[in-house]
Order: sequence, then structure tokens, then C-alpha cells
Amino acid sequence: MEHAEVHIKEEKFEISSGNKKWAFGLMIVGFLLAVIGYFTYHPHIEGLNEHDLHHLTQKRLWSNLLVNGYFFFIVSICAAAFIAISQIANAGWYVAIRRIPEAMSEYTLIGGPILVIVSLFALPILYHWAHEGIMNPESANFDAILAGKSWYLNVPFFYVRMVLFMSFWMFCAHMFRKYSRKEDLEGGMTNYTKTYALSATFTVIFGFTFSMFSWDQMMSIDAHWYSTIFSIYNFATGWVSALTIMYLFTHYLRSKGLLNIATDEHQHDLGKFMFAFSVFWTYMFTAQFLLIWYANIPEEVAYYKERLFGSYQFLFFFILVLNFCVPFFIFMRRDWKRSRKVGYIVGAALLLGHWLDVYLMVMPGSMNLATLPTAENPGGIIKVPFQGFGIMEIGFLCLFAGLFLWMTLKALTKANLYPTKHPYIMESALHDVGV
Amino acid sequence: MQTNKYILGVYDNPDKIYSTTKKLINKGYKVDDVYSPFAIHGMDRLLGIKRSNLTVAAFLFAMTGLTLAVTFQVYVSKIDWPMIIGGKPNLHIPTYIPITFELSILFTAFGMVTCFFIVNRMFWGKNADIIDPRVTDDLFVVSIQIQENKTDIQALNQILVENGALEVRERIKD
Repeated sequence: MEHAEVHIKEEKFEISSGNKKWAFGLMIVGFLLAVIGYFTYHPHIEGLNEHDLHHLTQKRLWSNLLVNGYFFFIVSICAAAFIAISQIANAGWYVAIRRIPEAMSEYTLIGGPILVIVSLFALPILYHWAHEGIMNPESANFDAILAGKSWYLNVPFFYVRMVLFMSFWMFCAHMFRKYSRKEDLEGGMTNYTKTYALSATFTVIFGFTFSMFSWDQMMSIDAHWYSTIFSIYNFATGWVSALTIMYLFTHYLRSKGLLNIATDEHQHDLGKFMFAFSVFWTYMFTAQFLLIWYANIPEEVAYYKERLFGSYQFLFFFILVLNFCVPFFIFMRRDWKRSRKVGYIVGAALLLGHWLDVYLMVMPGSMNLATLPTAENPGGIIKVPFQGFGIMEIGFLCLFAGLFLWMTLKALTKANLYPTKHPYIMESALHDVGV
Repeated sequence: MQTNKYILGVYDNPDKIYSTTKKLINKGYKVDDVYSPFAIHGMDRLLGIKRSNLTVAAFLFAMTGLTLAVTFQVYVSKIDWPMIIGGKPNLHIPTYIPITFELSILFTAFGMVTCFFIVNRMFWGKNADIIDPRVTDDLFVVSIQIQENKTDIQALNQILVENGALEVRERIKD
């Protein structure tokens, strides 16, 4: 076909001093803010003694680490899932931007160990089921409901699952990158076929293991509560964020005169994906909320009561605005999906919204204090109100964002900016969504 | 002067018809339309087809459905016949979501199908006016409108044949 001429050439990305400044600046500023935030946080809550208040500081620190560790990890693993799903769908359009999700998935190499270490420390602090005596019938802390779940919710099994799942995902992500980079040197179909087989395996296993992973990491913070749609809701969060970061990176690289093979058409399709999966996220959000709201069963509404009527109310509605209204009404327009300026704004809103979403999954549950069950308080839990969105939160967010940015940019330099010998590269270069 | 006479060139390859159409347009012929069993990338832009307003229509239909759904539910459960169900307030907004959502989609779907029929002038009793039955199967047809005293039919035929046309013929459209 006679189209605008396309030249497939080897193109490398080099980290500029501006990139370096941003990534390390975010990390350093974030670290300083986090440290300052930690030492200046002196909670004053009536009825709590000195020991409890000290414990609250610890809780806030590890909650923040868990929020960021989890969010950035699922984003990077969803980027690997994007490669796998596009691969088994035989998609052609995404090949031009394929190196971006590949680079994002390289964050797992550092994000995975971070999350394991954070969980190691956070488990006895944040997770009520991991507290001492909960599973022991002789203890004063004994909780019969949680003891009934002890076959699944116990510390050794938690770690076995976590390490097993994460190492499998990281192995697959590593192999995707390896095959793709080998393909650039060798050409041919061998690496494509291998990626195809591995993608099919990964997708099936990822579906099941990601569900369990999200129960372990997020749902078990409120160990009494459960929701059967929770894992797909988590997946939607990670998936939309991963798509958003890909979209932003594509815009950024094109604005620097790189990655010219990706055009407005690819940008448009990524934008459509962001639009569609934002609606998907809202669907899952509503599906989870509506049934619990309607049925009004005490053990189920406990989760929403804190968020909907408690001190987290503003954030709860704010994420709906950020994650649904902003992409829905702005990205509905065709030319705004293609515009860089509008794209940056919507992308930033979506990332903030989904980060806050994870924040809202963790914080209200993890900040609660455990005490001995009494007649007035049979659950043995002291509810702690929202402690404010302070510099500790901003600090940790900046720290992890800087780390993620640095890992991704570094990974981008390791190979050509797009796979030059992928069988679908020409199809992707000529991609056209029509008038 | 424009006539209702058309020259049709029949092809068996999307690449060939794309390059031929491009040549014809460059030489100033008035390409009326290109018929193909599937979408050819870039053809819309080449023919200068403008973006359809169907999306705007879809949005308006969706808004109609949404407004009707909300109005009906508020009227029924708050104004006309308030009933307490499960201890919920009369104006129980979360339960409106599924019905509003479904009605918006229903109105959009029906409205767009209707629009599609109207825009394409498809209705009962109308005979299908297919330029060549084979375009619904595996062939591609480019039709060029003849302008009196302007179009050089000989030269046109030659271009079509040179670029690999299986056949070239004339057709008169009513």
C-alpha cells in the first residue's frame, strides 16, 4: 500500500540530565519529606495512651510503604500482563509502543523485593489476623471468625504464596523482555512463538494468582470483611494505571522527537483503552458497592461505613470524580485523546485517582488499633479517624514514583525503542483508526 | 457538467485499488466512491470522507435515555408512590444506577440503528442498489463519475486497465 513512508530503524533512548534530575530529585525530596513526616507526626487522640499513639506512628509509616509498594508493583506487573494479553490476542497495533510496558515491567525487579520486605515488617503491625493470640483459643485476643480462616490466613502460607506468585510473574516478565531483545538481534519467528506460549501460560496463571495476591495484600487488612469482586476491582486499578503510564510515556517520547513510529493513532487507541477501562473500573466499583449497600449486612457494610460516612468521605467521592468523571467526559472526545496537553492532565488525574484508590483500600483498615475485646467493644478494635493527607504520604509517593521512573527510563535505554524485527512492526507502523 | 454516467473498474486486490484511486485523484478525475468487502486502511482519508456525526447522535440518544430513566424512577419512588423498601430512603440513588445505565445503552443502540437505516436510506420495500454484487464477496470496485466534455473516457479506461483492472464498464445510475 502506498502510505507515508515508514523507515524501521534502530533507535535508542538516552537518559538526559533532565530525566536524571527529575527521577533523583523525586527520590531525594520524597525521602526527606517522608523522614520529616515520620518524625513530626504526633497524633493526639482522646482515650489512647502513649504506647498506642506510638504504635499509630508505626502503623502510618508501614501503611504508606504498603500503599506505594503495592500500587507500583501491580502497575508494573499489569504492564507485563498487557504484553501477554496483546500477544495472545495477536494484536499488531501495540508493537510500536511495546518497549514501554517492557520497561515498566522491569520495575518488578526492585519493586518485588521491596514489597516482600515491607510485608515482612508490616504483617504484625497492619494485619489484624497476624496479631498475637488471634488464632489461639486460650488467649484473651481470641477471634473465633478469624481462627476459622487460619488454614489460609497464616503467616508461613502468606509468605509462601507471596514469594511463589511474585517470582513466577517476575520470571515471566523477565522472559518477555529477554525474548523481545533477542528478537532484535536474531529476527525470525522463534522468539515470537516462544513469547506466545509463555503469554498463554502467564495469562491463565496470572488470573488466579493475582486474585489471591490481592486478597492477601489488601483484603486481609479488614480480615473479617470479604468481597468476591475485590480482586477484579484491584486488577482494574492496576490495569488502568499501567495503560495511563504507557500513554504518558508515549506522549513524552514523541514530544522529544523519539519513537516517531508511534503516531496519534497509537495514542488514540491507548486513550480509548484508558477510557474503556475507566468505565470498567467504575462498573466494578459500583458492582461491589451496590450489592453491599443494598443488602445492608453488618459484617459487609463495616468496610463501607468507615469510607462512606467516616472521615474518609471526601476521598471516597473524590476518587469517583478522578477515576470516572474526568476520563469519561474528557476522553470521550476524539481530538482530546490525541492532544498532548489534555492527555497529560487526564493521565495525571487518573494516576492520582488510582493511587488514592489503593490508599483508601489500606488506610481506614490498617490504621485501626487492636485492643482486648471488652463488653462495649467485642471486636477488639479501636477506630482511628483519618489522620490527614500529610507530608509523609506525599514523601513516600514521590520516593516510589522517582524509583519507578528511574527504573523504567533505565530499562528503556537497554534496547531499541521499538522492536525492529517483530513480525507485526510494519502493521503497527501503518496502524490507522480511520477518520 | 456532471452526468449520471459512471465508469466502474473492478479489481481483486486492495493494494491495487488503493494505488489506482490515488492516481485517479491526482490526475483530477472525480472518484465517486470505492466499494470494498472490508475497510481499507487510509482509503477514507484518500477519498476525503468527513467524520460521521453518528457519535454526536449517540451521545444525544444516551442522554435522552439517561434523563428518562432518572425522571421515571424519581417520579415513581419519590413523588407518585413512596414506599419504604429495606429501610432505604425514598430517593435511593445508588439503586438507580443499573437501570439508568441500561436505559442509556438501550436508547443509544436503538437510536443508532435507526439513524443508520435513515442515513443509508434503507427501509421496507426498497430494492438494494448494489453497484456490483461481487463487492459483497471478494472484489473491489472504484466508480468514477463522468463529466461531460471534460472526462477523457479513453484515457480513463487505459489507466484503469494498466493498473490491473479485471474489467472496466459503464453504468448509469438513476
